[in-house]
Amino acid sequence: MDDYPRFSLDHNVPLLVTLGVTTDESPYTLDTDPALRANAVTIESKTPSLDSDQARGLLSYILDHDASDLPWNGHDAAVKYRFRVRTAERTLSLPSRQAQLPENVEPPQSPVVLHSPYSPLSPVSQLYPDGLIDAKWVKKHQELVPSVILSFYNLTSDPTRATLDDNKLKSDINGVKGALQQSGYKSRLAVMILSEQKKASVEVQERLENIRRGCGLDPKCFFFIPAVDSRDQLERFAENAMATIYVQALNYYSDMSKHVRKKRSRGVAPSPTVPPTSGTSQTLSLHDWNVRYDFKSGVFAEYRQEMDVAFRSYEQAYENLLSSEVAELIPNWSPRFNEARQLADILSIRTLRCLLWAGQSTAAVRRWQHHRDRIADLVDRRGSSTNNYGWQAWEARWATVMANLLERAKLPDLVPSTLALYMPAEKGAMVDRIRPWELLHHTGYWYRLASRHLYRRRAFALAIPEDDRRPPASSPASWVANKAFTYDTYMCPEPHEEYPLNESKGVNHSQLITDCIMKARSEFQKRQQLRLAAELSLECSREFKDPKNVVLLLEPLWRDMSFRTEGWLDIAEELSWNLRKAAFATGRTDLVVTIDWELLNMGFTKLGNWHYDLSKSLHGMEADSKPTVKIHDGNVLSFLSTSFIFKSEEGKAGEVARAQLSVTSRAHLGTAPITIDRLQLDFVGSIRTLVLEHKHDLGHPSQEHRDTTIYSTQLEEKTEDEGDGQQTALHGDVELTLKPGETRVFNLDIPLREPGEANAASARFFIHHETFDMEFVAGFREDTASEKWYLSASSKKHVSRANAHSIRVLPRPPKMEIKLLTGPEEFYTNEYIDLQFELVNAEEEKASTKLDVIIRGDEPPPRFTIQVAGSDERREASTSSDESSIQNESLGGIDASKSGLVMVRIDAHACSATFDITLQVTYHLESDHATSIIQTGTFPLVIVSPFEANYDLFPRLHPGPWPTLFNYEATGIEVGPEDATAVVPRGISQAWCLITRYASFAITNLTVKGLDVRVKTPPSARCHTTQKEKLPDSGREVTPKTIEETSFDLVAQRMSLDERGTVALDVSFIIKWSRLPSESLPDPPVNTTILAVPKLSIFGMEPRVLGSVSFIKTPLEMIELTITIENASNHFLTFGLTMEPSEEFAFSGSKQTTMHVLPVSRRSTTYRLVPLIRDAWIRPSLVVRDKYFQKVLRVISTEGMKQDKDGFLIWVPPKEEDDEEEKVQQ
Amino acid sequence: MATAIPSIACLGVIGRNNNPLHITIFPSHDPATNTSRQPVRTPLQFSLLLSSCLDVFDLRLRSTTGPVSGDLGLLHAVDERLAAYGYETNTGVRFIVVVDMRGRRADGRLLAERVGKGAAGAAAVGLREGEMKPVFKAMQTAYIKLLQNPFYDPDEHSPPNGVGGKKITSRTFAEDMKRIGESWIPGVNAL
Repeated sequence: MDDYPRFSLDHNVPLLVTLGVTTDESPYTLDTDPALRANAVTIESKTPSLDSDQARGLLSYILDHDASDLPWNGHDAAVKYRFRVRTAERTLSLPSRQAQLPENVEPPQSPVVLHSPYSPLSPVSQLYPDGLIDAKWVKKHQELVPSVILSFYNLTSDPTRATLDDNKLKSDINGVKGALQQSGYKSRLAVMILSEQKKASVEVQERLENIRRGCGLDPKCFFFIPAVDSRDQLERFAENAMATIYVQALNYYSDMSKHVRKKRSRGVAPSPTVPPTSGTSQTLSLHDWNVRYDFKSGVFAEYRQEMDVAFRSYEQAYENLLSSEVAELIPNWSPRFNEARQLADILSIRTLRCLLWAGQSTAAVRRWQHHRDRIADLVDRRGSSTNNYGWQAWEARWATVMANLLERAKLPDLVPSTLALYMPAEKGAMVDRIRPWELLHHTGYWYRLASRHLYRRRAFALAIPEDDRRPPASSPASWVANKAFTYDTYMCPEPHEEYPLNESKGVNHSQLITDCIMKARSEFQKRQQLRLAAELSLECSREFKDPKNVVLLLEPLWRDMSFRTEGWLDIAEELSWNLRKAAFATGRTDLVVTIDWELLNMGFTKLGNWHYDLSKSLHGMEADSKPTVKIHDGNVLSFLSTSFIFKSEEGKAGEVARAQLSVTSRAHLGTAPITIDRLQLDFVGSIRTLVLEHKHDLGHPSQEHRDTTIYSTQLEEKTEDEGDGQQTALHGDVELTLKPGETRVFNLDIPLREPGEANAASARFFIHHETFDMEFVAGFREDTASEKWYLSASSKKHVSRANAHSIRVLPRPPKMEIKLLTGPEEFYTNEYIDLQFELVNAEEEKASTKLDVIIRGDEPPPRFTIQVAGSDERREASTSSDESSIQNESLGGIDASKSGLVMVRIDAHACSATFDITLQVTYHLESDHATSIIQTGTFPLVIVSPFEANYDLFPRLHPGPWPTLFNYEATGIEVGPEDATAVVPRGISQAWCLITRYASFAITNLTVKGLDVRVKTPPSARCHTTQKEKLPDSGREVTPKTIEETSFDLVAQRMSLDERGTVALDVSFIIKWSRLPSESLPDPPVNTTILAVPKLSIFGMEPRVLGSVSFIKTPLEMIELTITIENASNHFLTFGLTMEPSEEFAFSGSKQTTMHVLPVSRRSTTYRLVPLIRDAWIRPSLVVRDKYFQKVLRVISTEGMKQDKDGFLIWVPPKEEDDEEEKVQQ
Repeated sequence: MATAIPSIACLGVIGRNNNPLHITIFPSHDPATNTSRQPVRTPLQFSLLLSSCLDVFDLRLRSTTGPVSGDLGLLHAVDERLAAYGYETNTGVRFIVVVDMRGRRADGRLLAERVGKGAAGAAAVGLREGEMKPVFKAMQTAYIKLLQNPFYDPDEHSPPNGVGGKKITSRTFAEDMKRIGESWIPGVNAL
């Protein structure tokens, strides 16, 4: 907008000139134009100017509220008045109202009508004879002719001088007023009387009234400002006064409008003072005059802040100007043509301002486009076409104008803080369809649009042929004439200045473009459009001549480039190349190397004419010293991708963890292979730094498939001297030359040292070249993406866990081994259990060891003792209800790969049970006393009973006599010799046979050394047992799961004859046994297992009938069957015995008899049987019946007999056998 | 100028990480040669344009409360010809349509066929509100179709770690985009 003449575009605000106060601020000056100075009207005040604080304060308030720089919008409702203020001390010269005739002009015959020097009618005016209007006219009203002259006077406080001074004052005001009237200007005069008094007394009032009347001033133009205490108060007075004066000013401009209207309504084109003689001799037509009048009306309306009125006037002027009557008639070679274009621009800009003032943003954009299209049309038809630099220059200007307008308008909906990019369409413009651009975008977009046109302008300029670029002086006249028609030079230089042959002197297009772009960029930055701002920076950098500026502009962008991380590689690439070029020129080796490194990545486009060889990066650059460049992975998109994976999530300290390092080159095909001299992996945690160094020809890789090569790398610990002391690292030699697309995989066994988390932190690649050294750092990020483990060169698998580059190192595992040396497979009740444990030290050094032994189980565990090999001491366990244990038994030091022995002896346990025996070895290595290592071994201990047995009790006939109830003293039955001293029992005796069948449930053969029963008799009886068969002295070997039988005779006798009740016997079966002798135990100890026999009940009340047989060989082979009836009761019983004859035998004895049995006595009867059959069982059918109860009593069989449910049977041995054998069959 | 009507100059699909997933560029009508061969900008310029639209998405997110998704309408107009419209799915994938206001020669016959008579005159003036709805709908349909492909892993294209992502390589999707861009003219209701 600055290209347009000064004042032509300013927003018009009423001009106020102050008179009478001294100040240096914004002084009023008359134009230096001699045409205007001549006959200038001088207005002078005779009174000395005021210098009081009050006057100064007043003036500074007025100056502070100068409205010339207020934003161009109508939103500030708080503003009560708008003035442009100029100050004059005592005099001001107004421009002359009438131009003089130039001396060289011959005055015409008729009386000369002189016009204003601004009028095209006056020959002194530049517009004479056919110009429309120019900025001078606007300047006249803006700057020179005030709407109000505000004069300050002081009211004398001295009452003696009051009348005199008041009169002086009066005459001075009258003088000014008169001069103003004489000048012909209708400017209003306002007077401010300042007083030192605080309050206007009646007297003062009268004086003031007197002065006012004496000067004939309107009360609205006459103000009294009393002395005030505070500035606030003063300002309040001033504000009220100014608001009143403002109304006067508006009236002034209304008068001016009226004057213009009057002139327009005359409908006649005035004739100039002197008819024109030069040029076309053309004068302004009525249409031309109307354009002028409408323009003036618009400006005066703007002075009154009536923007809608102004808008209408401007539009009218604009339409008239571009109508067929005005602009179309101006020849395009005439300077008036460009003046008309400029006027059209000015009118449009003023119209746009009116629209923006009213907030009609969409209408403004449409008006903007409309003007552009109208002018393009006009220039295409009448001018020198739109296909040249001049038009583009104008287009750029036109876009800039809009940007400037927006800047001045400061639309509240579009200020940066709203973050709005464009304004919504206003209500009036809401039509069905709208073009996106018609929504008013913020300034940045307009500047950007302007920059586009500037690019085009340059393109056109560069295309100017050389002939046109010569200065006119050195080119033929015909060319000069031709040029005038070819190029549009409206508000832009001639071709020879636009792009002269000497290029350095021409228009600096780049500068224009960068200025424009930088303005746009700052607008975008203000609104957080950072990507767009970055784009503009990129554009701008192409225009910068100085590479330093390019680096300055692009380096921050390139460093934190969102395009790169977001994957806009084409943009990143463009930026990188631009920056590289500049960095190369400015010697920034770090940038050059880093960018070259990044551009090797396949993701970027490959340029055909680029070397893609890192070693050539710095060719052609000069560096003082060999630079070292450090590149971080996050800053660039590296073509080297690195992954490091532990095979398993966990490892143990002291062991090695299998890990895989893979390096893949994703460089462009055809890139020179890159050799990494040293690859260093840094770890967080207890893992040592890993250094892989490049060596040529290391032999064959373990596997190779296409581009993938797998190596198994041996690592060894080396200590290196580094700057700050020694550092131990793992070293390995590898071949690290990577061709594009190649992947190298290294299988590594990494020793883990201490427990805790460890992870690979970064991989550092060191590359040394002749011209530079570089270090590339690739960090391993915490990542959820799955990594790949190369199983072989051709196959890989996904590692599903996250953060595969980290490992959890578990504490060092104990290497002390606890072994149970072989013992018996099974443990039995009632035996001592000897266990032998061996503690094997598999650590690499001597271990001081302590041992805890604990036996736990459901039942109270047995006591035990331990004995350490080499010591005679046995230690006893302390036993509680649920465990018995020995703590902290020291075993001393066990040398590496040696072992210690511990014997544990567990006491015999009575019943079968299950226990766990736990050995906990706590040891620490000699090298590390602080760390205790614990190893535990738990062994099950199952104790089972080796034998089980069942029992049968059979009645037998007691051979001894029973005591008789009647001869009580006579009985002298000796039950047992051992009881001789004891009380002699006197009760009845009975004999029994206890048959026990036992079986071994052990898994090995056992030796039974002895068998016994132990009877616990109640005090009412006495009992005596004898084993029938004796075992051999060496015992009997019992095989598992075979039933062995043994029987015991049991003789019981009641202590007293009077007792009748049954007696229950507690019997235990005792087996003395031992394991078979073995090598380790040639003489095994004898254990005693006691098995409880169910309670035996003897001595019933009921009478018993016992049958017993004996064989008689001579003289005849006979069987004697004795039936004994025992009556243990106190009753006299009678039994009837009936023996049936049988075919199996013959018998002697009573066939039918009656037996009387006395209380507590027994009686027998005998039958002799001669068996008729041999080798068979015979069944004598003998019935014993209780006569009294008529109840058949069962005959109980004893030895040599058998019983079934029908009765008893007797075995008859075969005849051949001479000797009779007794067989007991049950 | 009245003979030119808006057409689609570029369709962009942008991933959750602001990464370009897919860009299709369409040729614009060139009044000088009266042909439609050349796009109005270079691919790099279109990339820059699309990325500049991301600023606008971010701004909208900042200036409004609550989640922004769905049709965002006009993002911004770059100049008198090109304007960008945006749409954000609820998974954060963004569709950007760049309209060239003078991208196609107004062929009365074509317009009459597609949107009915009388549309040609109106179409040249500007765009209705919601004019891009069918485009976004069609783009979303195509994108959903792409997602239904079991071999398409969205996480690969917009990794959850928020950095970059692969581009869409599906030929069907590219064809869909091409069809949408070529067949859209102002006033159509469905694509």
